[in-house]
Amino acid sequence: MKDIISKEQLFNHPIQKVWDAITNQEQISTWFIPATFKAEKGFQYSFNAAGGECSPIRGEVLEATPYTLIYSWIVTENPMETIVKWVLEEVEGGTKLYLEHSGISNYHGETAIEMFQSFNGGWDNCLTGLSGYLKDIVHAG
Amino acid sequence: MQDNITKILKAISDPTRRELFHALVIAATALPITQVSAQFNITRQGITKHLKTLENAGLITITTSGRERFCKAEAAPLQEVKNWVSFYEKFWDTKLDQLGDFLDQKE
Repeated sequence: MKDIISKEQLFNHPIQKVWDAITNQEQISTWFIPATFKAEKGFQYSFNAAGGECSPIRGEVLEATPYTLIYSWIVTENPMETIVKWVLEEVEGGTKLYLEHSGISNYHGETAIEMFQSFNGGWDNCLTGLSGYLKDIVHAG
Repeated sequence: MQDNITKILKAISDPTRRELFHALVIAATALPITQVSAQFNITRQGITKHLKTLENAGLITITTSGRERFCKAEAAPLQEVKNWVSFYEKFWDTKLDQLGDFLDQKE
């Protein structure tokens, strides 16, 4: 059974533009989650999802050298720490993005259940709300 | 009993244990160990060892009733890993779509 999530996606955009989108606080806040973020090793970041009922996400930037970005991912109220890794590669016609989210195996089952329950309650709703919000912005623009 | 996901993954990394566990999941009820070992071409001792590993990972429970010992699959621990993975699969798909839209808008 796999315990790592891997995504691969091609964007028809220059590598620097994609890198800025995933490392710049203002840009992260626009497409991802409102953030306090600096692409500096050791920086303690936070992602604060819209609405008070959503658990904020925090963590530490572990690596931020073009074009690899790694940070720990901790959902507040739960001690569980997982790792999110972004790697960009310049390819013909744009940029290939590799995303990896791992670390669930380091934890006790009970913690995982607890974490998941907290997601079920809050996070799914937050996500739906957020994508709606983003769609509105796109359509308004 | 420690209910560690690493243990779960290790327990099911062995093909024989996977088969054992699978057989118990299919059975959906407690089976006597003698009946289980009859299905597999391994010594009774070998079966017991594999069952212990599965039990330690929380994947099965072993109970004694009279002179017979019974084992039963507990699928909940596997579900935890699966839930986590499927939640974040969806999460990142949504997010990467949003990233794509964002980049397209930002010409």
